[in-house]
Amino acid sequence: MSLLDTQGEIVGKAIDLLQGTLDMLILKAVSLGPLHGYGVLLRIQQISGEQLEIQQGSLYPALYRLEHQGWITSEWGESDNKRKAKFYRLTAAGRSQLHAETEKWNRMASLIASILRTTPEEI
Amino acid sequence: MNLTRFRSWLKWMVKGQQLESEMETEVRFHIESRATDLVRKGLSQQDAIRQARIEFGGIESYKDAMRASVGVRWWGELGSDLHHGWRLLCKNPAFTAVAVLTLALGVGANTAIFSIVNAVLLRSLPFPHPDRLVKIVASNRGVGARDIGFSVPELDDLRSRAGVFDQVTATISGDVSLTGGEHPQRLEMLVVSPNYFSMLGTSAHIGRVFGPGDEEQGFADAVVISDSLWASEFGRDPGILGRRVQLDNDPNTIVGVLPPGFRHPGSTIATDVEIWATAGLKGNPFPEYDRSLRWVPGAIGLLKPGISREQAQSRLNAFAAQLRAEFANDYPAKSDWSIEAEPLQDSLVGNVRPMLLVLMGAVVLIILLASVNVANLLLARASGRQREMAVRLALGASRARMIRQLLTESLILSLVSGMVGVLTALAALHFVQFLPARIPRLAEVQVDWTVLGFALLVSLLAGLGFGLVPALQSSKAEIAVAIREGARGSGTSGKTNRLRGLLIASESALAVVLMVGAGLLLRTFWGLLQENPGFNPSRIVAASLWLPVPDNPEMDRYAKPEILNTFVREAVRRVRAIPGVDLASMTTDLPVTHLSRRVPINIEDRPDESRKGLFSEATGVTPEYFKVLQASLVRGRLFAEDDQPGKQLVVMVDESTARTFWPDRDPIGRRLSIGIGRAVTNLLWCSVVGVIKDIKNDGLDQSGTPHVYLPIYQIPRIRVLSVAVRTSLSATSLEPQIRREIQTIDPNLPVFNVRTMNEVIDGSLASRRFSAELVGVFAVVALLLASVGIYGLLAYMVSQRSHEIGVRIALGAMPSTIGKIIVSRGVGLTGIGVLIGLPLSGIMAPMISTLLYGVRPLDPGVFLTVPLILLVVALLASYIPARRAARVNPIVALRES
Repeated sequence: MSLLDTQGEIVGKAIDLLQGTLDMLILKAVSLGPLHGYGVLLRIQQISGEQLEIQQGSLYPALYRLEHQGWITSEWGESDNKRKAKFYRLTAAGRSQLHAETEKWNRMASLIASILRTTPEEI
Repeated sequence: MNLTRFRSWLKWMVKGQQLESEMETEVRFHIESRATDLVRKGLSQQDAIRQARIEFGGIESYKDAMRASVGVRWWGELGSDLHHGWRLLCKNPAFTAVAVLTLALGVGANTAIFSIVNAVLLRSLPFPHPDRLVKIVASNRGVGARDIGFSVPELDDLRSRAGVFDQVTATISGDVSLTGGEHPQRLEMLVVSPNYFSMLGTSAHIGRVFGPGDEEQGFADAVVISDSLWASEFGRDPGILGRRVQLDNDPNTIVGVLPPGFRHPGSTIATDVEIWATAGLKGNPFPEYDRSLRWVPGAIGLLKPGISREQAQSRLNAFAAQLRAEFANDYPAKSDWSIEAEPLQDSLVGNVRPMLLVLMGAVVLIILLASVNVANLLLARASGRQREMAVRLALGASRARMIRQLLTESLILSLVSGMVGVLTALAALHFVQFLPARIPRLAEVQVDWTVLGFALLVSLLAGLGFGLVPALQSSKAEIAVAIREGARGSGTSGKTNRLRGLLIASESALAVVLMVGAGLLLRTFWGLLQENPGFNPSRIVAASLWLPVPDNPEMDRYAKPEILNTFVREAVRRVRAIPGVDLASMTTDLPVTHLSRRVPINIEDRPDESRKGLFSEATGVTPEYFKVLQASLVRGRLFAEDDQPGKQLVVMVDESTARTFWPDRDPIGRRLSIGIGRAVTNLLWCSVVGVIKDIKNDGLDQSGTPHVYLPIYQIPRIRVLSVAVRTSLSATSLEPQIRREIQTIDPNLPVFNVRTMNEVIDGSLASRRFSAELVGVFAVVALLLASVGIYGLLAYMVSQRSHEIGVRIALGAMPSTIGKIIVSRGVGLTGIGVLIGLPLSGIMAPMISTLLYGVRPLDPGVFLTVPLILLVVALLASYIPARRAARVNPIVALRES
């Protein structure tokens, strides 16, 4: 998704997000229970221990894209402060997508890690 | 796109409005929640909201990205472009009005002309097998005589021996008198074979058409009438079937009325066919069954299914060769008798095709000109909007997006213009039936889906055409330059000016092409008006008569020469006695009407071979005829009352006929024989007694056909007569008097077509007048468009450069010098256009040569006058901006900037 490249870039204090990771983070966030858009932001920040800072607006195109692809679904409900808000929930398709993405991510991470660990003697 | 995504997209497409507002709510909720959290952290309410907005980022661009996520952004943008474009058009009513009117003119002209072209040339004939219907044409190719007609035995052979046709019908158009009403009336009649309607695939609206039960040797009792005759003569009486009517004094029965749209697909004498009769053509009142009597003027054939035109033609060639060999006496080798099958549609509309194509070409040039003009307007406006464009580009809008927006604007403009244009065309087409020109199938003209589709296509192409150049140009704006220039208020880069100059030059070139075409056609038309017809047409009134032909020759009183001649003398005497009539005469054919009978000619003492297959047009006249026409006698004498039956048969010829028949001898006293009525074997030798100056009998634009004149008293059978009188009275005041005098002699004779000779000539030129004047109007429009273009460019230039001009004047430039610069720019661009346009015209002009008469396609007069007119108009169009430039007040101009 090229749009993510231009508008979904994450301005990390410490860590820059890799391409496609925002989608994965959102899926993870809503997998823990239905959330509205602002709630997704708060949860990601909370889980990451405030290490990640996301350009807030960029969440929404991503949410819409994920819903468009059928991985999450939305319905209108009431927020904690009794206001009308749109809540996103993971679908079955989204769950398997998250699973697949997590697998891929882990494989990739360990691969990259092992490459980075390589010392001259090992070649 | 899989199903989920499609459903999501569809939801957006259908419920877009609702979802837009949900999007808005969602974003607002986010920002307010964030603000609440920030307040908790200790910010003031106002700062919190501000901070939350900053953290969120560009709301609009994220919304855009959200739309893009579900694939509806393109639609949303289109919607907003349309909205934006519409608002811009409404904001500049003057610009919009000029652009819409210009384009509507172009689209309207195109739609109107195309609807005629579509109905006349493109749509196939309204019959079940239009592609199998052919006009059968017999020709004596060896002597250059085309469409000479058929004898009844030849028609029989075409049916039974040619092996090409399923069916063949004779078509004999003629006049018939309808008596029993208030006045005897002349109707346009068509005599056909009984299979005529079944061949065309037409059935009756009420009653029946002809069928096998109507086979007779002579005329059948049944006749079929047209819808318009049913309406005009019988008030749409549903009880019309079985009604007995007197046609040429014979009783006939109306058995059917044709549907309103039906028209005979062939040539007629004066109007659409009103009544159809059927006959076997072998008994009374028709001539004897003789192969050499080719008195049937036309035939239509239905080709056998599955036979191609080429196959048909090669079989017809073989067929003609067979007949030529079998009946060598009737088909002299030199005449090279042959048969062609010409598609019926071509034969019907072939003669108007060049004219319609020229008109179509003219309106295409008009829409091109209109587009160029609007492109120019858009360019001018675009340079005013350069800052807007530059700012948007600077803010990250993509060029593609900008081009799309500008094109959307032009498309709105072109579609609005298209609608206005179609409405204009619809209004214009109301006048089509009043056109004087005799264009076949004109009644079928209508604005149908094909025409509307064409109008839409033209509008869209024009919109793309005039929109693309300015769109590409302004989206290319150099951001920095544009913002700077825009700030300075100049806004026109040299590049844009060059582009506009190019447009002006091409406009001039297009105008030149159109004006040259119009010039050639108008010169042809004016030339024909100046053409000496060989007589003096002013103060002549003519009226036509029809002498009925009853089925039974015994009943035909006018078959006896004494009675006919007495009638002619008495009619002339009575008409001559009407107060205000100076001279009266009778003729079988009026000049310029092209109705003369073509007759075979033999010339005495010419070698046998060369006299075979000669034709001439023969006109019978009373002695005063040439005096009424004021035609001049060159040699010999005019006819006299004494040139009667039983006396020496005499003829007169015109000068060019004398030259053709007797190139090196005095024609007076020579003899020729004319095959009228009886077989050519029965030669009657006539002596030439006089030579008259050429009279344009077949139309002002026709020459080359030989003409012989006979004393009307020596012609045995005459059916159509015209009275021609020299008078100071008008046709309308003479009409009742002529009718009264004629009907005093025979109350059953219809008197019709009372008109002045000038009207006859006008009628013969109607089609040329129509095309020449219409193209002339288009040329004037082109000239106007071009001059508006020039004026617009220069006026704009002056207003944009008033600062510079002010500086120049302040530094001592003469105002006249400034004016000259402006004028020379306008005239210079036009000059470039002329230089491009003239060779283009030179290439195009020969294509319309078939429409020209007496003017060469590369007529130097036209090719010199047109550039001159255009340059003078360019000069005038440049003058006003130039004067304004010369009057720029340097103090005001400098203060303004």
